[in-house]
Amino acid sequence: MTKLLFANIDEPDLNTIDVYRRHGGYEALPKALKMSRDEVQAQLESSELRGRGGAGFSMGKKVSFLPHGAMDKYLVCNADESEPGAFKDRELIQKNPHQLIEGLIIGAYAADVNRSFIYIRGEYQYQADILDAAVKQAEAAGYLGERILGSDHTLSLVVHRGAGAYICGEETALLDSLEGKRGNPRLKPPFPANQGLYQGPTLVNNVETLSNVPHIIRMGAKAWAEHGVQNSTGTKVVSVSGCVRNPGNFEIELGIPTRDLIMGLAGGPREGCTIKFFFPGGSSSPVLTAEEGLDIPYDFDSMAKAGSMLGSGSIIVVDDTVPVVEVAKKVAKFYAHESCGKCSPCREGTNWTVKMLERVDTGEATPMDLDIIASVQDQIIGHCLCVLGDSMAMPIGSLVRKFRAEFEEHIERAREARGMGVTVPEPEPVGIAGADPDVGPY
Amino acid sequence: MPRPEPKEITFTIDGLEVKATEGEMLVDAAKHGDVEIPIFCYEPKLGQPVGACRMCLVEVEGIPKLQTGCSTPVKDGMVVHTQTERVHDAQKAVVEFLLVNHPLDCPVCDKGGECPLQDITFGWGAGTSRFIEPKRHFRKPLEISPLIAIDRERCILCYRCVRYSQEIAEDYQLVLHDRGAHSFVGTFDGHPYVAPFSGNIIELCPVGALTSTAYRFRARPWDVETAGSVCTLCAAQCNVSLTVRDDKVSRVMVRDHPEVDDGWLCDKGRFAYQAFHVDERITEPLVREGDELRPASWDRAIATAAAGLARAGRHTAALVGGQATNEDGFLLQRFLREGLEAHDLDSRLGAQLPVELHRALAAPALQASVPDLEFAHAVLVLETELMDDAAILDLRIRKGIRRHNLKLAVASSRPSALDPAAEQVERFAPGGVGRFLYELASGDHALSDWLRDAGQDVVIVWGERMGGAPGGANALRALLNVAGNLNLGEHEGAGLLAIPAVTNGRGLREAGVLPNAGPGLKAPVADGRGAPEIAAALADGDLRALYLLGADPLVSYPGRGAWAKALDRATTVVAHAGVLTQGIREHADVVFPSEVYAEKNGTVVHPDGRVQRVRQAIAHVGNVRPEWQVIADVARAAGFDLGVLTSAMATKQLFAAVPFYAGLTAEGLAGHGVRWPAGDGAAKAPEGDLGPFTLEAPAPEPAPTHGQLRLGSWRSLWAAPEVRISPSLQFLHPGSSVELAPDDARRLGIEDGVPVEVAQNGTSLRGRATLRSAVPAGSVFVSDETAILTGALVEVRRA
Repeated sequence: MTKLLFANIDEPDLNTIDVYRRHGGYEALPKALKMSRDEVQAQLESSELRGRGGAGFSMGKKVSFLPHGAMDKYLVCNADESEPGAFKDRELIQKNPHQLIEGLIIGAYAADVNRSFIYIRGEYQYQADILDAAVKQAEAAGYLGERILGSDHTLSLVVHRGAGAYICGEETALLDSLEGKRGNPRLKPPFPANQGLYQGPTLVNNVETLSNVPHIIRMGAKAWAEHGVQNSTGTKVVSVSGCVRNPGNFEIELGIPTRDLIMGLAGGPREGCTIKFFFPGGSSSPVLTAEEGLDIPYDFDSMAKAGSMLGSGSIIVVDDTVPVVEVAKKVAKFYAHESCGKCSPCREGTNWTVKMLERVDTGEATPMDLDIIASVQDQIIGHCLCVLGDSMAMPIGSLVRKFRAEFEEHIERAREARGMGVTVPEPEPVGIAGADPDVGPY
Repeated sequence: MPRPEPKEITFTIDGLEVKATEGEMLVDAAKHGDVEIPIFCYEPKLGQPVGACRMCLVEVEGIPKLQTGCSTPVKDGMVVHTQTERVHDAQKAVVEFLLVNHPLDCPVCDKGGECPLQDITFGWGAGTSRFIEPKRHFRKPLEISPLIAIDRERCILCYRCVRYSQEIAEDYQLVLHDRGAHSFVGTFDGHPYVAPFSGNIIELCPVGALTSTAYRFRARPWDVETAGSVCTLCAAQCNVSLTVRDDKVSRVMVRDHPEVDDGWLCDKGRFAYQAFHVDERITEPLVREGDELRPASWDRAIATAAAGLARAGRHTAALVGGQATNEDGFLLQRFLREGLEAHDLDSRLGAQLPVELHRALAAPALQASVPDLEFAHAVLVLETELMDDAAILDLRIRKGIRRHNLKLAVASSRPSALDPAAEQVERFAPGGVGRFLYELASGDHALSDWLRDAGQDVVIVWGERMGGAPGGANALRALLNVAGNLNLGEHEGAGLLAIPAVTNGRGLREAGVLPNAGPGLKAPVADGRGAPEIAAALADGDLRALYLLGADPLVSYPGRGAWAKALDRATTVVAHAGVLTQGIREHADVVFPSEVYAEKNGTVVHPDGRVQRVRQAIAHVGNVRPEWQVIADVARAAGFDLGVLTSAMATKQLFAAVPFYAGLTAEGLAGHGVRWPAGDGAAKAPEGDLGPFTLEAPAPEPAPTHGQLRLGSWRSLWAAPEVRISPSLQFLHPGSSVELAPDDARRLGIEDGVPVEVAQNGTSLRGRATLRSAVPAGSVFVSDETAILTGALVEVRRA
């Protein structure tokens, strides 16, 4: 299978500029700079490259949305990869940071942007250090700074580390965080392309999206788009994790059967186990059972048709040894913990769902509570300020719907185990950590 | 930036074609069709919508997802549905979510009965909840400040208070801690939320999470009546709505007036109502018997006062304090001028100004309005600290900067709270405003260019006290020259806005309480003497009686020493007073109890020329009588009939006597007042000489000799008797403070907080040192109610 992003990925020291250049790195950049901005943008648009961060929006289109003319415009690379199950950006940054930087410079050129940022997840310390070093090298080599390679293009690049909030992977919350504010999503519209960082037009792209850009320019959009299938062009790095024998990142051409990916590349389930279901696009995607999902092509449209989504391209496989209640609880808790609290359906809905699932787990629920859980998920979907609420509601809704029997069975067993008694947990007071309990926080 | 032109469009809501203004948010546009879209977080006063509560979800044809009505601008031809099943389901869902963690303690909640959450739950909720889990718990209630209690369990996290603190008051104190369902409102560092405008968050809160400690558990909405009036505690004259229970004012809320206060109140205006009902208030007439003031009947008090004044005859003088209404001032000047043929009366604190200047500065074409502050291209704040002098205008300027690209310059001797928001800051030595204006007028100053290039609409907000200081008249002539240079009179959104030293300074001037001007700034029968000369004449024995209408010269007039001598020599001192201050206690022969504004009927004039009605909200406390009536009774007893039997008659007399109030009636003023410079009266305003004036450069001030500092003064927002006697507000009443530059303090061996003495020619003043790095070296500022003694050289030393 063709490898573009992962070509030479295991070459030692690929993260240094010399090795990257030895393998043809930074050849797309001069080629792009010789083209006009509109030509580069046309290449991106005709490649039909779709964003790899989760939403799958055409990158070329996004670039074209930025207003023209002299003003402060920004490009922000979203490297806040925090979705459970996703770890592709981490490898792309760690092993081939210059591919990203080259793509970012070309993207900035196409969008006529002079200031750029990489917002990297705070936990990715090792990768951030590598990026810092790579940016220094790129600056020293003249790929960043004033009049890049003698062209009229100027670009500064700052690597900014996040502080551990999942919500800062949402593009507008990321921009707020980058501005030094509390990372809360903003109302859209205005979209970042019109009013983003510091109120300026801003292009926000995922690491993998930008890493694809040098290949599109190098190969030409047409040749690049021959990989993959219609509406899902190019290759995709897929993180496969969970109950498989060979978890990891695999670069595939979009549109191959999901079975090849899970059973082939990832080695399938452990001996004696069968796959119960999997999350096709990170923990925020509705789950697909093995029967539903294994035989459909792994691309944007097929996954949407099957009632789920490709998302960031992160498959989490769950086999028959794992209780579905555990999975549901873990997913719900994650999103309740990461909800920023700005909009009511997400803040209260995630928190309520966790409380209900805990009762399901301890056997203090009835099957009617499962209806309430499902209904609460429906009340969240489509009503929130950003997609975080939906990110919990979609998988939880799908789990309750598809595995209702197992939930009911779990309640029954747990009730028996605890002898049918009902205990109501004591409420826990919440307050500022370390505050004097007698005085209380202001 | 000039105001945008509204454009009318048509859209359809629930099948009804409705006209609206383009760009209006759907929730506002829907109201034109009598459709209510429920909201919690949306509050246009707070700026851009945030779409956080999700209560206002509606269906817009052509958009697949439900849209938040608070953030969707209406467009021509838009088709909106608010009554579909999808919308109902979404609204019920949001109500259910909001109630998940909201305690149902409505029966003991102050907000019950006037609570948006309660109303919306009834109107749009499902009526039941399926939530049986434990709710989140916080310790409650806590004092987020001495004035405000916070109940975090009731909070629905709508962000209004946090947005207010960050984007309106710009004090940046309130933040949201933690995240998700654990989020809670608090101050950043855990300190109490003490700020000049903090009380507004109580009214912004859509639930009972933020309550006033002074009002908590005092009344339910069905126990109270509300009455509209105008706050007369400072020159900003915000419109207020008084909550009255059992004839007592128990709360003050905003009465939204976009052209006066923009719907905000300062904490003084909001909480100082407590001073209406405290024991310190004088509620019956007092007559001096020997060394003591003893309660007396009204008849006796009036007879005593009238006899004393009649005896003194034309040797009577009067000082009128800032909270007096136009009618009170007008009647008193009639009594003096017509009844006693006395001509010495004043409502200003400092030196007299030529009447020509008063007329010129009141020229209708030159008057800027409050909204002009927001929409001007540039504003120059000149020698006034708005936060102290007319607090609410500080917020207006911040709004202009934030939303309409207003450019701000501050030119003052004392560092201003607006400095950080200003593009240009000019700091001169106390008393140096005359020289600064001279340079500005002659174009020799960097700010001259800045103002000229800023755009055509320039507003200069100037502190009126500078006119009462030495060289004040020439400083004002230079100001008129600046206005002429910038053609301020010719542009609609440009002009001057004078911030008077006292609440109704402008109204009292227009009502004729000036030694050299009668009602309507007309020439009086004879020119009299101003406040400083009155003091001298009393001390000389040339004047014998003094009528004090809400004024105590020992507290709020410059030249304390001269006034002490004057009061000693005066044979008769008649005073209207609310509390016994030193000058009244020691020198008054008759004291009439003053009304508070909630008891008053009459009119006042806003600094921008808006004549506003003060309306009675409660019955007079104790044995208090209306001031106009007392003045009329005293006059009658002294043999002069003013011809007023009701407050309405007084207002009518006033409007008839002032030419530019022609056409005004009390009914016509209604709730929102009328700006006469923008109305028919403008044509009848007296003409003044607008210059240009040929001026000589002011002589340079004497250089400070070794160790001396130049004295400036200010009056804090909180330096008011109403603050001192309001139980929950008195913690803000400032002691005497002496502000020094850290370098000067180090040289003089003074540390922050130590007691110091400011001395000049043998007299001295004590206070506590405050080191402020923004104070320019060589200057010292003392907090002083008169705030007019500037420019003198003083010595500062440790006490």
